[in-house]
Amino acid sequence: MLASTASRWLHTARLGIGEHYRIIQSNPLSRIGFRLIVVFLVIAAFAPWIAPHDPWEMVYDKDGQFASLRPPSWEFPLGTTHLGYDLFSQLVLAARTTLVIGAVSGIISILIGANIGLIAGYYGGKVDEVLMRLTDILYGMPFLPFIIVLIALFGRKLEFVILAIVLIIWRTSARVIRAQTISIKQRQFILAAKARGASDLRIIYRHILPNVLPLLLLYAAFNIAWSIITEASASFLGFGDGETISWGGMLYELWLSGKTRVAWWWFAAPSICIVLLVTSLVFVSRAYEEVANPRLRKR
Amino acid sequence: MLDYTLRRLVYTLITMFAVASILFVLFRMLPGEPTMQVISPAMDAAVQERMKEAFGLNEPLWKQYFIYLKNLVTLEWGRSFVSAQEVTDILSYRFWNTLLLMAAGMCLTLVLGIGLGIVMAWRRNSALDIGGTVVGLVFQATPPFITGLLLLIVLSYRLGIFPTGGMYPPGQRPDGLFDLLMMPAFWERIVLPTITVGAYYISTPMLIMRDSMLEVLGSDFIELAKAKGLKPRVVMLRHAARNALLGVVTISGIMIGFAVGGQVVVESLFSWPGMGQLMVESAASHDYPVAQGTFLMLAMLVISLNFFTDILYCYLDPRIKITAAGMN
Repeated sequence: MLASTASRWLHTARLGIGEHYRIIQSNPLSRIGFRLIVVFLVIAAFAPWIAPHDPWEMVYDKDGQFASLRPPSWEFPLGTTHLGYDLFSQLVLAARTTLVIGAVSGIISILIGANIGLIAGYYGGKVDEVLMRLTDILYGMPFLPFIIVLIALFGRKLEFVILAIVLIIWRTSARVIRAQTISIKQRQFILAAKARGASDLRIIYRHILPNVLPLLLLYAAFNIAWSIITEASASFLGFGDGETISWGGMLYELWLSGKTRVAWWWFAAPSICIVLLVTSLVFVSRAYEEVANPRLRKR
Repeated sequence: MLDYTLRRLVYTLITMFAVASILFVLFRMLPGEPTMQVISPAMDAAVQERMKEAFGLNEPLWKQYFIYLKNLVTLEWGRSFVSAQEVTDILSYRFWNTLLLMAAGMCLTLVLGIGLGIVMAWRRNSALDIGGTVVGLVFQATPPFITGLLLLIVLSYRLGIFPTGGMYPPGQRPDGLFDLLMMPAFWERIVLPTITVGAYYISTPMLIMRDSMLEVLGSDFIELAKAKGLKPRVVMLRHAARNALLGVVTISGIMIGFAVGGQVVVESLFSWPGMGQLMVESAASHDYPVAQGTFLMLAMLVISLNFFTDILYCYLDPRIKITAAGMN
């Protein structure tokens, strides 16, 4: 009995993965995006083994000269900073920071947003009213300024960056999922489940959730993309974690150093990585958008 | 309609009140001396004491909260630790600069975005449509500070076409808005920040206009208009685009609200003397009265924009309740 349940569950899960694979493969852009994300994930996972130097280690070339502001070469593939830090090492190690921040804040925020949207939409009335007013309040918060205030007050720590992002970013997913929930809860099969005496929780998580899943995944991808953009922007302004290297932080150091005029390679590497990663996420999310929103499909 | 407007107004006031309260709590959680957020430690003891009195910092916390709210309403926002200027004076100058830049950026975004969206939908699956979608998505994925840096490096540093920043040349402060708008140096300086803001947000009206145009183009009355033998241009603009505009209106309001927060990056990058730059500078130098005032001002701007969007949308389409989709 237990084994059959488990095997049935496994079967569903495998079907689910196959379905996602099909969605991603359905569109050339999302196919490219998905591959790039995998590449970034691999780099982030093996970052300490790939990076030849510490992020803030002054490097010397093979003649023993201090390697300051070197353009890309065989020895320093992405060049060095004015203080002689190896940009390739910084870039690889920063991938980890960026992906962790993106994944953690993206996932936590979609969990909060989805639950609030489902509960507000399903129960309606007072519950809905309270939760939506809460969402309105968050819509009144300017996002980056909020992060800046939080960091200025409590210090340049990774936790506060993530906390600030999560606190604000769930608002959009909550509104969208609520709207979808409201339209789904009036359908026949939900009314049938109610008539059978299914509990509210069961209806929400077994019957409604699977139907909002494409939308939920779409917003999960958006949330991750927005988190990455936001973290990079905050770091660029000097309100990121001071002790962890990140792509935005690399550009902040470039801006501070005043070498923006000369060191094009210092600008290029982190910028290209940020844009590539976020673009990949946007491309993948566009594939889910076509599922969540069928009128976008090619006719 | 009136009923709805009033209800929205009440919600808006509640939101403003809530944001102000959250800010109060945040600044009170500040580690260290509770007076730090209004009184500079650099002032002498007698002045500090007098200010404590004025801001009610000797009172219990709940009383301080009411004094804080009263000071907000009566525009007693304190003085800068750095320049000792009234926060409200600093903000009243900065506010218009921010609004000017935002207006320029949003005009560019909306005009170009809506125009492109119409043409893309009209020529569905053409090179323009596919290329426009891809470019739009890439722009959406490029944080404004990267676009801005790129523009600065290429157009300012390398080619020297545009000045690197500021709103007017140093030492030539204009008196009043009219004077500013008559300065060629001002127009030279607003180009790059405007493009930076515009590029990041353009995909939103463009793709939404495209999608809602496609929906409208599929409906019967368009077929009818075509069958009547109307010119394609007339069908495209008068019939289809007009009906598709509704979705863009709502999203634009929300987008402009989000863009307020984004000002922080653009203004810092181009040394634009607006509220965004002030936010960064005051937070970095721990000038708390200015940081608090600027944040409140930005929040009020966002909240008011959200209010007007709601009202406008309800006026344009009374059937639908307000939802925001696809933006953050």
